[in-house]
Amino acid sequence: MLLAYLLSSGITSGALYALVAVGLVICYRTTSHINFSHGELFMVGGFIAFSLHVLWGVPYIPSLLIAVVAGGAIGLMTDRAVYRTLINAPPIAMVVATVAFSFVLKGIGRFLWGGQGEFVPFPPIADPAPVEAWGIAVFPQQLVVLAGALFCMALLTLFFRFTRAGKTMQATAESPRAAYLVGIRVERVYASTWAVSAALATVAAVLMAPLTQLTPDIGLGLLLKAFAATILGGLGNMPGAIVGGFLVGICESLAGGYVASSAQEVAAFVIIMIMLLVRPTGLFGERGRREV
Amino acid sequence: MLRIALLRRPVVVALGALAFAVVPMVANPYQVYAANLALIYILLAIGLNIVLGFAGQLAFANGAMFGVGAYATGLLRLDAGMPFWLAMPAGAVIAALTGFLIALPALRLRGLYLALATIAFAQFAVWVFVHWDGLTHGTSGIVLKPVDFAPLTKSASTGLYYVSLAVTIGFVALAWNMLRSRIGRAFVAIRESEHAAAALTIDLTRYKTYAYVVSALYAGVAGSLFACVVGAVVPEQFNLFQIVIQFCMVFVGGVGTLWGAVIGAVSLVWLQEALRGLQEVQEFGFGILLLAVIMFFPGGIADFLRRRIEGWQEPLRRVAPDEPAAPQRRS
Repeated sequence: MLLAYLLSSGITSGALYALVAVGLVICYRTTSHINFSHGELFMVGGFIAFSLHVLWGVPYIPSLLIAVVAGGAIGLMTDRAVYRTLINAPPIAMVVATVAFSFVLKGIGRFLWGGQGEFVPFPPIADPAPVEAWGIAVFPQQLVVLAGALFCMALLTLFFRFTRAGKTMQATAESPRAAYLVGIRVERVYASTWAVSAALATVAAVLMAPLTQLTPDIGLGLLLKAFAATILGGLGNMPGAIVGGFLVGICESLAGGYVASSAQEVAAFVIIMIMLLVRPTGLFGERGRREV
Repeated sequence: MLRIALLRRPVVVALGALAFAVVPMVANPYQVYAANLALIYILLAIGLNIVLGFAGQLAFANGAMFGVGAYATGLLRLDAGMPFWLAMPAGAVIAALTGFLIALPALRLRGLYLALATIAFAQFAVWVFVHWDGLTHGTSGIVLKPVDFAPLTKSASTGLYYVSLAVTIGFVALAWNMLRSRIGRAFVAIRESEHAAAALTIDLTRYKTYAYVVSALYAGVAGSLFACVVGAVVPEQFNLFQIVIQFCMVFVGGVGTLWGAVIGAVSLVWLQEALRGLQEVQEFGFGILLLAVIMFFPGGIADFLRRRIEGWQEPLRRVAPDEPAAPQRRS
């Protein structure tokens, strides 16, 4: 019974980690940079939805959509303000710049939505009472989250397979120079990549907000969980990141239930460190090829 | 280029050291405390610059090493009852050993992977500080009694200040000599190209390990002084914001320059103390500052000084693409 409960909550949070991780991976594949401010994009997106939904009484679905658009706009801003300026700078500069940008966003979040250690509640969008399914108590909120996350991933698959924007993104990921030569406007692809990636983080935040509470400090912990997911799947591997996300969610839920409740927070760091030492190419990566 | 004898580097360094030496005689206790923090951050910034600016390894573990040094010294004094004179070097050595343990796995990683692993390690260290209650006293942290300098001076803060000053001058001199030696040249060669460095028979494993251990030693010394100067050690002091402040110092001062790190540390401690009343804007302010420096002044203050004032060239600096190769000293 405990196991079933832990698994269901692990899968739910895993679905969200997978969404955040997919955003990171999209960005990494196209721009070959890791966005260390991705967690703060998540935080800001969640708070925008909170403002709309809780403070101003906008219904849930419209606030989700508006927040996603706003999140995408912040992603565009990241592209304009940070990425494009540093496109030719050494990689160290880009990493430190995105870390710095994450603190800028965190500072804004703290200024607008509450100080250190303050949590703002987000009302559940589904009936809070658990329902019985195959003998397991499941919270409807968890089902909503899971369905939302899976829906987004399906949408994303369709986006990459069938739309022109998705295909140009893949082409740019493959080789920016070749993409440029066949007439793809690479800069525009970069911009849309940052926007899509930030929008995904926002979706995850709006889905997650009713389950946990929002705080300006939520970003870093979430970012590390998403890192753990991407590294489990192999950096740059999208299906791998989704599987990784679920694995991270389940691992930390089991660690929290069976080891100690404080072990839940640390599971992601341990996964990152062990994976990078033992199998840096991820669970599905080929052994021989190492780009570490 | 300005050719004013007063602005040459040896003169400025000597005047700076002199200014630090007279602080306790002319300033109030708060200003002494702030100057002491500046000395500590000079050590931290040099330590980070050795691993980041000279050896070119993008490691985020410096804040955690700082914490290890602070906790080791604090706990040795509080729970093991060691005197300050023993606990301080012991804390530094423990941090350097931790740096060695970090180096072993970190040697296998590069670039983004190294950044990821060390950020995870930094957060893991904070988690250990919070959750290993039996050893670290958990979230409430530890509070230390002032160090007793009874026969020498009545004021604990003045005594500690001169210890910090002596240690800082010693470690700055050490770094200045080390970075101009075979070791420093090996660091820079590794930064510029690992393949080329290996082709020049530079032992990558050995010199990278040196970089991590030396950087951890500097952070550990800084941490052990910090524990005694502040008198309290709590986990939040060593979170990611700590490392952002240190990055800020290194980038504002100048990546890969020793005196840049010193200038960056002093000016940013001053800035942080000026913003003390505005805690909530610190994250935003330091984030914007770091971002602006990376985007618009990638050379930092050291680069500005080098271009404008004669005598600020440092050996082994990175040549910017828009300037001719380094003019060698005319003899």
